[in-house]
Amino acid sequence: MGRACVIIDYGMGNLQSVVNALRYLDVDPIVSSDPKLVRDADTLLLPGVGSFRKAMDELNASGLAEAIQHAVTVQHHKILGICLGQQLMAEFGTEDGGCNGLGLVPGVVDRISQPSGGQIKVPHVGFNRVSFEPESRLFYGFEGPVDCYFVHSYSLGVQARPGLAALCDYGAPFVAAYENDNLYCTQFHPEKSQTNGLRILSNFISA
Amino acid sequence: MLKKRIIFTLLFDNGSFMLSRNFRLQKVGNISWLQKNYNFSNVAFFIDELVVLDVSRGQRDLEAFLAALTEISTGCFAPIAAGGGVDSVVHAKQLLRAGADKVVLNSALFEQPHLVQEIASEFGQQCVVGSVDLKANGGGYDIMVNNGMRKLNMPPSEALAWHMRGDVGEIYLNCIDRDGTGQGYDLDILDILPTDWNLPVIIAGGVGNAKHFAAGLAEPRIDAVATAHLFNFVGNGLMNARRALVREGLHLAEWPDIRAVDLGRAG
Repeated sequence: MGRACVIIDYGMGNLQSVVNALRYLDVDPIVSSDPKLVRDADTLLLPGVGSFRKAMDELNASGLAEAIQHAVTVQHHKILGICLGQQLMAEFGTEDGGCNGLGLVPGVVDRISQPSGGQIKVPHVGFNRVSFEPESRLFYGFEGPVDCYFVHSYSLGVQARPGLAALCDYGAPFVAAYENDNLYCTQFHPEKSQTNGLRILSNFISA
Repeated sequence: MLKKRIIFTLLFDNGSFMLSRNFRLQKVGNISWLQKNYNFSNVAFFIDELVVLDVSRGQRDLEAFLAALTEISTGCFAPIAAGGGVDSVVHAKQLLRAGADKVVLNSALFEQPHLVQEIASEFGQQCVVGSVDLKANGGGYDIMVNNGMRKLNMPPSEALAWHMRGDVGEIYLNCIDRDGTGQGYDLDILDILPTDWNLPVIIAGGVGNAKHFAAGLAEPRIDAVATAHLFNFVGNGLMNARRALVREGLHLAEWPDIRAVDLGRAG
């Protein structure tokens, strides 16, 4: 652990549960909306649920988007995007008419589509099976597929290779986790995935 | 494939956690009882999701509820939905800030549909759990609101169809007649759902043992089974029930016991 672990607060979602999970792992995070703290943090977490467009508006208006870019591309500090956080790290989201994301992860975030023939319920809610790449750092120490908790209506398509760390299938395959150098994100909620998620968070912290 | 869920529901009434039978409440213990005597932190490792409801009949003590919610969420690494008397976006936000991931709305679904839309637009559709209390009326069911005290004068399927337009993420169906009886779920309440219903369904009311869970989990229309009975699965009851259900081949998520997992305490 370096100097600071900052959970980025841009007004969306339950940040307390991420705090609780990190504290359980003996990490004491700072919850902050201050771009200056974000620019210098060694470890960033970008959680969140809700609308992609609204979140990007918040991140851009507050200067947090620029601070995140600086932290991860200039200073090379590590970041974990969770749920909406993963989506925001992508290039583009189609929700509410569409807008650009942070552009850290290749790919487009689109609404979960119905498979031909069958009918699936949207949002995708609950634990689902995640298959990971053997060299994944987030999934270090796991054997075989891992059950993780999802709650979302939009997802990142699998065109995001390389960097694809884990896949989940709901109607169609989508990116469950991505990791490329210092950039990490998960569509599922590690802080809500019982001991599976605590272990994934622990792997991120020690990565 | 998507796993089905076991949900534990805690009922809170002005400082105490309650047992409910046909919506009549009986006091069990406060938050310290829940943690120390009931060992809720351990129970929380064997559920897929937690629901915490303020079912106070009189004046609600929101501060006390938020304090209890905060304490419960600290040791619970599963999703939490909270509700009971939510009457504003600010109220919903307070629940989310206290550790909830979702907001449960009951009477508001039918009495303040604009509030439901506002909360969905502020926090997303996935953040709204629509809770619907049903009472048999000899042949069908009535939706009951205001803690089960007032009958809604609209056929359930019509009342629910309105919520398929995108403001509710899941529906929690509770059968008042079975509530707290331990007789098993009334699966017939599923028939009130419109035929093209496409949101996740949680069923509640009547669980007494693991077989009742199994019957609910085996029903294709059900995504999650809930129990609010504090004494049906005491000690390792929930852990044992969960393991038995997995052995029977029911699609439940699996994760290692907290005592067996090496978290490498990274700090």
